[in-house]
Amino acid sequence: MLITNAMERKLRQSGIILMLGLIVQALCLILGRGALGFMVFACLGGLLVMAGIIVFLVSLVAAQPS
Amino acid sequence: MEHATILVVSLIGMTIILIAVIVFRPEVTATRGGKMLAFLVLFAMPILCVGMGGAKELQRSMSTQFCLSCHVMEPYGKSLRVEDSTHLAAAHFQNHLVPPDQACYTCHTNYAMFGGLKAKISGLRHLYMYYFGTTPAAEDIKLYEPFNNRECLHCHAGARSFEEGAVHTSDPDLLPALKANKTSCISCHSVVHDVKTLNEQKFWKGGA
Repeated sequence: MLITNAMERKLRQSGIILMLGLIVQALCLILGRGALGFMVFACLGGLLVMAGIIVFLVSLVAAQPS
Repeated sequence: MEHATILVVSLIGMTIILIAVIVFRPEVTATRGGKMLAFLVLFAMPILCVGMGGAKELQRSMSTQFCLSCHVMEPYGKSLRVEDSTHLAAAHFQNHLVPPDQACYTCHTNYAMFGGLKAKISGLRHLYMYYFGTTPAAEDIKLYEPFNNRECLHCHAGARSFEEGAVHTSDPDLLPALKANKTSCISCHSVVHDVKTLNEQKFWKGGA
């Protein structure tokens, strides 16, 4: 049960980071016109999405068969 | 908003909603279907969103508006509107000899293999310098290497005005030299972006 909860916690963390990254990217696509929008899309949005995916993959690796 | 942007933003919105299901109801991942959903929305769909969004952003980075969004490029944008047909960039921009919405990219892309990629890498370097480095004054900006005639010939080669033009045919050696990049087009068409004399120029008010 504890293991399941730990995995769920990681999935939740991954989801929140991914949501933040995707919101940033969506805002850049809607509002961004210039170089600043591109930088925020690539650096902040891209970094958050990458971090979210890594947390998800780590949660899979760390999960132990019940 | 463009249709492609609406499509990408809709996909991102859908992904966010599905991720919210996992965030607020993580217990759904206990089932086989839930695990598949988690893999889809926490791995596959974000990668798809970043890929499609990135492609859209890269396409946007080719626009004239994007290039001129950096303050240091403003004089170059102004030089496109100079009311003088001897100004090469202005004549091309105002007469739609290059797509006005991709004016910078059309001439300043290397038309060799990987030219587009090289242009994007240079663009990233420019962005880095603009935000984190020291940008030179507009009149001090120089090309990395001499402008290659290949970029002009991409459009002008085979065109009647180029192949049969009086000046181009006056010397039989000139056309072959131009085509071989031994004589630069810029050596005669020397006024390109004359940002130093912008204060003395009149400007075209037309266009978007």
